[in-house]
Amino acid sequence: MRSVSVVGIGETKMGKFPERSLRDLILEAGTKAIGDAGIEKERIEALYLGNYNGSYWSLQSHMGPLGSEVLGLGDIPTLRTEGACATGSLAFRQGLMAVAAGFYDVVLVGGVEKMTHRQTETVTTGLASAADADLEVSLGATFPSLFAMIANRYFFEYGNVREQMAVCAVQNHDNALLNPDAQMHKKITVQDVCNGFPVAYPFTVYDCSLVSDGACFVVLAATDVAGEFCKKRLVEVAGSGHAGDAITMAAKKSLTTFTATLGAARQAYEMAGIRPADVDFAEVHDCFTITQIINIEDLGFFPKGRGAAAVAAGRTALDGELPINPSGGLKAKGHPIGCTGLSQIYEAVVQIRGEAGARQVKNAETGLTHNLGGSGATCLVHIFRGR
Amino acid sequence: MGAHISIPMYRRTVPQRYRLAGQRCTACGRVNFPPKAVCRYCRTGTGFDSVRLSGRGTVYSYTVIAGGGAPPEFSEEARCKGSYPVVLVELEEGPRIIAQLVDPPEEGITVGMKVEAVFRRIYEEEGVIRYGFKFRPV
Ligand SMILES: [Zn+2]
Repeated sequence: MRSVSVVGIGETKMGKFPERSLRDLILEAGTKAIGDAGIEKERIEALYLGNYNGSYWSLQSHMGPLGSEVLGLGDIPTLRTEGACATGSLAFRQGLMAVAAGFYDVVLVGGVEKMTHRQTETVTTGLASAADADLEVSLGATFPSLFAMIANRYFFEYGNVREQMAVCAVQNHDNALLNPDAQMHKKITVQDVCNGFPVAYPFTVYDCSLVSDGACFVVLAATDVAGEFCKKRLVEVAGSGHAGDAITMAAKKSLTTFTATLGAARQAYEMAGIRPADVDFAEVHDCFTITQIINIEDLGFFPKGRGAAAVAAGRTALDGELPINPSGGLKAKGHPIGCTGLSQIYEAVVQIRGEAGARQVKNAETGLTHNLGGSGATCLVHIFRGR
Repeated sequence: MGAHISIPMYRRTVPQRYRLAGQRCTACGRVNFPPKAVCRYCRTGTGFDSVRLSGRGTVYSYTVIAGGGAPPEFSEEARCKGSYPVVLVELEEGPRIIAQLVDPPEEGITVGMKVEAVFRRIYEEEGVIRYGFKFRPV
């Protein structure tokens, strides 16, 4: 297996852009990534494009060729990936495997989503299609309600951490204030979170990630050829893991551990040859506040049942021992579904290059990204290291 | 439109939706619900005896979906009631299922609370009322 590095990155601002189409978002982010890599477009041999639900929200499928046409990549092979909220990382891993296996030297990986042009009910329905249509949605469950049940079970098993859990949202908003690409630039408090508009008990609107438009692209290259054109610091993909679990929440063995996170993390740590303690910062999937708590435990950063206390103590803040979501996370940077996984990877690369400006993590040499799909049925973990 | 389940597809699953028809794996003895082609537990068993579940169980977890946050089929219900509770129930026979809770206790829903299945109207699609089970406190 060949070593693979991220040699170029580009993203749009995350947000609500009524006048911008899927094409516009792809064009901006893709062009930036290719420019950042400093390569001729002709060197790109394949495109992997993550898009969760353009088929429904924009009645646009076959996103691969659409992307290559918009970016003028010619007749290269393309592949669209879909794995609910893990869609973007799924595209990344396909590109990574193709280069590592020697099929290609340089590939472009992207993720795009356009959500805000639809009414709330249509957005909700599209999101809920990542759950089991027959056994969950048709019985009246929503996506937030599934994670709300996870939260209430967590409270039952480990104690009611409602206020500590709210600190995840507060910290993510604090970090997003320093990120020009973030959708939310608004300071919030624990009281705002706890007293916000109710969504599904115990969640208020502040426990939930955002509905966003956005795109993010990265250029991947075999490390041994990257030196020919890459002028920036090379960021090597040191580890990659991908694991699954049952699609229905009712079939999960435990509600308070994501089995897929455990599996993907184990693979990624093993491939990178590191332990959780060696990670300098992480972008961790926070579709809901409880998700971030459970994941930082399952990733091995904190013992089971102690994640919320660690967050509340400031240990995961930007100046803490292990900064989590310096970008602002799904909660405050934004969550354009298919783009999210790549947007996390974008942050990892920016941090390791030392280009994060006001939100720069000190000594950011090893970064981890964690992207979860559905109620934990798909998980990808990647580890990045500066060279 | 939310989860679209056509009338013929719905009809085919009436035994599980109306009568909680499950299946006991002849290889490992565990009860699958809803019915599966391959046993969810041993992942090898394909022979099953039919069993009718008791409908009794305990609340494994729960939430209350606020008005405005409901899927389209349920938005009218959420608007009428303001909100509605959804529970994950662990049935006596082992399987866990998601359903709505009716007549929630005034003092609030708790994990471990005993519940039983009741036959109720779930929603309407294509002009046909879809019936199924909800749970109520025992
Ligand atoms: Zn079996």
